[in-house]
Amino acid sequence: MSLAAEAFVSQIAAAEPWPENATLYQPLKEDQILLSDSASSLAVQTFLRMCGLPVQVSCRSNAEYMSPSGKVPFIHVGNQVVSELGPIVQFTKAKGHSLSDGLDDVQRAEMKAYMELVNNMLLTAELYIQWCDDYTATEISRPRYSSPYSWPLSHILAYQKQWEVRRKMNAIGWSGKNLEQVYEDVSQCCQALSQRLGTQPYFFNKQPTELDALVFGHLFTILTTQLTNDELAEKVKSYTNLLSFCHRIEQTYFKEHDRESQSGSSRHSKGSLP
Amino acid sequence: MHTNMAEPMELLCWGGDWDLPSVHTDSLIVLAYAKFSGANLAVKSIDWTWRTITASVPQLHYEGTTVTEPTQILNYLRKQRFNADYELTAKQGADTMAYIALLEEKLRPALLHTFWVDAENYANLTRPWFTSHSPFPLNFFVPGRQASLALSRILLTKAESPLLNITEVEGKIYSEAKECLNLLSHRLGNFHFFFGDTLDAFVFGHIAPLIKAPLPSGQLQKHLNQLDNLCQFCNTILKNYFTDASAEKRMDCSPTATHDPVDANLQKLTQLVNKESNLIEKMDDNLRSSPQHRPHRHETKPSALASARNSTPS
Repeated sequence: MSLAAEAFVSQIAAAEPWPENATLYQPLKEDQILLSDSASSLAVQTFLRMCGLPVQVSCRSNAEYMSPSGKVPFIHVGNQVVSELGPIVQFTKAKGHSLSDGLDDVQRAEMKAYMELVNNMLLTAELYIQWCDDYTATEISRPRYSSPYSWPLSHILAYQKQWEVRRKMNAIGWSGKNLEQVYEDVSQCCQALSQRLGTQPYFFNKQPTELDALVFGHLFTILTTQLTNDELAEKVKSYTNLLSFCHRIEQTYFKEHDRESQSGSSRHSKGSLP
Repeated sequence: MHTNMAEPMELLCWGGDWDLPSVHTDSLIVLAYAKFSGANLAVKSIDWTWRTITASVPQLHYEGTTVTEPTQILNYLRKQRFNADYELTAKQGADTMAYIALLEEKLRPALLHTFWVDAENYANLTRPWFTSHSPFPLNFFVPGRQASLALSRILLTKAESPLLNITEVEGKIYSEAKECLNLLSHRLGNFHFFFGDTLDAFVFGHIAPLIKAPLPSGQLQKHLNQLDNLCQFCNTILKNYFTDASAEKRMDCSPTATHDPVDANLQKLTQLVNKESNLIEKMDDNLRSSPQHRPHRHETKPSALASARNSTPS
């Protein structure tokens, strides 16, 4: 959206309180959703739970096309539609709910820097593994992405998405990397996060912020998703404070919904943490 | 600790201008880090050679191995025991990675846009410079290729997929870049350097061209010039490391250390600001009437601190 439109929307947003029927849309959980989208969606859900805002999760096969920016997840609140964690954080802030108000300027700078680190490294690595690694792309990503559609549309859409992602990887210089280097980058990113977290319960003081939601979303999804091999999960598991961080947030914010949201024997998700 | 080399390490990079050792961000990062860590690099500029189109710059050659990309080169230098980050704590090392990611995501698209996509800058500054520094007949191709690479990078990473239109993205990337500069200014505070040489090198590499280049239309440059502590940071590095080669003159991170306001630099900056104040009409309408003004609230803090510390220039 252009900046003027954004200002207009946030003014409207501030006028109404959070409704009861807010909905979050994501691709189909059992068959369609991929690792990166699942991570982003979980991050948004965690953030909204941390703010204490109720939201219903609705799975649609065309969620990506409904979204205003083409990216999932997006939330439908009142008569506005907002996608991606950054704009959603701003939107909830306009409505008066914010997790990072208690931070001073330097801490806010750090929080934004770490959120960029997660987006830059973890999300890009997830996209790379899903779409640029031929084996994973053929076995998992393309079949899952195109599962709601029949041939030949499925064929076309899957290859189109793969081409798009590969183009982006090319532009940012990741196409020259091999899988080992990507795993190494993930490991370094987790090391940085682990060092920043230290022994604290959350990244900043004792209160969770959107950074905690984002990190939880990505790490939990990596740990509970079955890919062609377990190397990615192993890299994350080697940092024990990150594991206990994930456990803690799962227990605090998702415990009461655990039984309801447990998916059946789906090949993709393993359910709760090992 | 770093003597007895069979031959010095060779670095290929773009040449320098406007008081900078190089006009290329990535090359500046490597050059700055090498100065900080005391590595002896034989710098070879690729201007006027065929390497302007064949080589991916910067490139480090040593004993048969070739390393490209600033992050890789810095890792390589560290492995060769040119490590300037010994005294960093683990948390600061993690913070360095995070801030570098912030720079790459938020500031680099706007830098690319300012130099390569903005029509006025490209036509009046960037293209003539690169054309004049490339050999015939490459001078017809090199700037155009860089410009299209820059444009595609911006569109693919920042533009939302149905739109793919550069004007839609412009406002967004500039406001993100201004926010990023404000965040850096907050983090730097009253100190002369950031923590750790790697971060200093990266920040220097990104903002030095923006400060020094004589851009005809540079709203980002204007914004940066208002953040005094970042400008001081850049000028300090240039003065201590690149005008004279003595690395031991590096100042401590003391907030009350006095320093001479470099009059020549200040005059140049003042001239730039005056030149650009005539070009304010060129700013986008969107940007003027948008919540863009929010960043200005943060700006008063660092400049208030800095002006209390600065002596008035004569």
